[in-house]
Amino acid sequence: MHSRCDLSCDHCYVYQHADQTWRGRPVRMPLATVRAVAQRIAEHAREHELPVVHVVLHGGEPLLLGAAGLREVLAELRAAITPWTRLDLRMQTNGVLLDEELCRLFVEYDVRVGVSLDGDRAANDRHRVFAHGGSSHDHVRRALALLRRPEHRASYAGILCTIDVRNDPDRVYEALLAESPPRVDLLLPHATWDHPPERPGPEPTPYADWLGRIHRRWVDDGRPMSIRMFEALRPGGGGTEAFGLAPADVLVVEADGSWEQVDSLKTAYHGAAGTGFDVFDHSVDEATRHPGVAVRQDGVAGLCATCRACPVVDRCGGGLYAHRWRTGSGFDNPSVYCADLLRLIDTVDAYPPPTPPASGELSTISPVDELLDDLATGHGSASTLALLAATQLSITRALLAACRDGSGTTPAWELLVHLDQAAPEAIRAVLAHPFVRPGLVHRLHSSAPPGVGAAVDPLPALAIAAALRAGVPAALHVPVRADTITFPALGSLVLPGLGESAEVTVRPGEFQVRGGSVEQTVLLDPVAQPSTGWFPTRDVSVPGGRLLLEDGDPYRDCYGQPVEPRLDGPAARALGRTLAEAWRVVHRDVPAHAAALDGGLRAVVPLAADPARPLRSATARHAFGAVAVTPHSDPETMAVLLVHEWQHAKLGAVLDLYDLVESGQAAQIRVPWRPDPRPPEGVLQGVYAHLAITQVWQSRAATDQGDASANAAHFLAWTRDGADALLASRSLTAAGERFVGQLRHALEETRAGAG
Amino acid sequence: MDNAPTRPSRPGLDDLTHSLDIPLERIAVEHADLVEAIRRRVVEGGPVPSGTVPVALFNSAI
Repeated sequence: MHSRCDLSCDHCYVYQHADQTWRGRPVRMPLATVRAVAQRIAEHAREHELPVVHVVLHGGEPLLLGAAGLREVLAELRAAITPWTRLDLRMQTNGVLLDEELCRLFVEYDVRVGVSLDGDRAANDRHRVFAHGGSSHDHVRRALALLRRPEHRASYAGILCTIDVRNDPDRVYEALLAESPPRVDLLLPHATWDHPPERPGPEPTPYADWLGRIHRRWVDDGRPMSIRMFEALRPGGGGTEAFGLAPADVLVVEADGSWEQVDSLKTAYHGAAGTGFDVFDHSVDEATRHPGVAVRQDGVAGLCATCRACPVVDRCGGGLYAHRWRTGSGFDNPSVYCADLLRLIDTVDAYPPPTPPASGELSTISPVDELLDDLATGHGSASTLALLAATQLSITRALLAACRDGSGTTPAWELLVHLDQAAPEAIRAVLAHPFVRPGLVHRLHSSAPPGVGAAVDPLPALAIAAALRAGVPAALHVPVRADTITFPALGSLVLPGLGESAEVTVRPGEFQVRGGSVEQTVLLDPVAQPSTGWFPTRDVSVPGGRLLLEDGDPYRDCYGQPVEPRLDGPAARALGRTLAEAWRVVHRDVPAHAAALDGGLRAVVPLAADPARPLRSATARHAFGAVAVTPHSDPETMAVLLVHEWQHAKLGAVLDLYDLVESGQAAQIRVPWRPDPRPPEGVLQGVYAHLAITQVWQSRAATDQGDASANAAHFLAWTRDGADALLASRSLTAAGERFVGQLRHALEETRAGAG
Repeated sequence: MDNAPTRPSRPGLDDLTHSLDIPLERIAVEHADLVEAIRRRVVEGGPVPSGTVPVALFNSAI
């Protein structure tokens, strides 16, 4: 945005390294160029239907544009790009000029700001000084204090810290931690094989040693802030520009409108980042066809022979592209930091050391394997179920945060944030309702592409539901759909004439609704006759607690088959009795599975009756904690349906966390329970459900109930054949193979137990 | 360019459990990678299809 800077840092790759192209560029990016950039990004997002675009405003120093100049830039970017995709706007600054007006601007335009700070005063001022040599430390700390204020906190992205191994790592760590950053980025100083990094002492890997010291402090402190380098280097930690094998997805636009490759290349040689393309005449696609960008799409195949043969290549990804440069061989080298990266990965892996099990025998099992092994028994322990439920709740909270990202701060969001602090149990109870996630996903899905009507904002109803649970007075405008407002897990209010939005006021023991031509007070006395138009969600007592009969929430319609409208009183009571009795049957037959039900099943959705298929059940990936069934009066049959569906729910929660099936698998597998070949994930689900059903029938066979033995043998054969077909298909990941292998083992034990 | 967000792979178990202790208003900032990973994996599909699982239909044969 601005190609000059108000600091004169001697480690800056823009001004102090090999590339000097900044000298021939305009001081600031003209607004016409900004407009052209925005149009190019929007064009690319539209053509490729990108769900998100990340734009980072850089310099030089972008704050030199001033508040008015930045407002023009931000307005151009938002106006051009947000109709087509989600725009994640960020800025990297030295912070010297940051003031309250700029902070307000960044909050207004939802810009997340990273500030450069190299640690304590001595560390920072080793490089980050003004041209006259004066310290920038106080200026930067004042900027960070501004960003920490509650009203600006949402725009505080974190701190960028360039390493100098002459600095004291403990003091640097403490100085960074004192600024309460959401995230810290520790950067290796840019260097190449032509210009290797400073190594002031005799140690061969001073950078790994220095970082290792900070890593130990960070782990010992309970990881009080995110440090991206350490998180990225963990197995499966995700890629960054500096690590990992993910394709390069960064282009830079210089102040004159030139498309350039990633700007760290400026450290390699003069003009290294150039492409010869610009935003006026060339699209993003044309720029990405530049050989320098294209070669970085190849993952491990694009690395040198040394890296390709390295056992940790998937962790470091060959390091930062620029750090591989050597005159003569170009970028076909390991990173000049290769030895440090190798040692650092060892350090990250080795600390903290694995906790030995109580038996005293060293365990080598990872948390992933532990969870999968436990579930592969067929049921899973109470602690595993609690962990799965917690991860599902966490996913829902993240989706809620993503919704806020899309719509900004609203009164509903503010109420949710308030209740999260004041009444966390109420928030937890509402967000754990199985049909909150489908509502949030629907909202996020429909808000992405342009031209499609946005889904109803689910946040006001969630906030009011939490306020009602907590008994906290509140008032919000809540969207109305088909004369109905649904408060998750509490009930639905159906009042013709409510209009499109109604004001809902929560008072102790009641709430009032005003919308359209309607004004109504609803009493929340559970023993009194419900107020007119109010249909509370009914529940039934089961050994696991209270089980909701969910026949009102609009997002329960996520099973790919019609759901029953609200049941009348007798039908609801009949279904409730069947479910309660079925739950007891599960406890009788398979107590381990019953404990798993107790640990997570919270709602049952009645499916619409279909005379052609009277006995059906279903599970939805987005609705953990619920299953759908056709109302049925036989508790023995219902028990089988509950166990079966709960297997799918558990496995679905696992699949949110881990890939058990290789992605992109087109393989179809023949299974004994259907005539048509099935995709691997379907087979995996079938096998896992049938393992549990085998266990149910084997238990029943022990008490000699009719054809239980035949059913047990039948499901045993299905499960065994399905598992074997899966293992033979080579469509599973390593984790998937382990899971199915363990499951197969559990099946053998089941068979032996039955014998 | 290191201010760009991490390219997310999948939601990590540690991050998911840790984020439960973070106030709602700070999740998007302090767990930006997690939110992005969930958005891609859960909302936008990624390696996992969104919507209902195929077993919903499979179950009709029980």
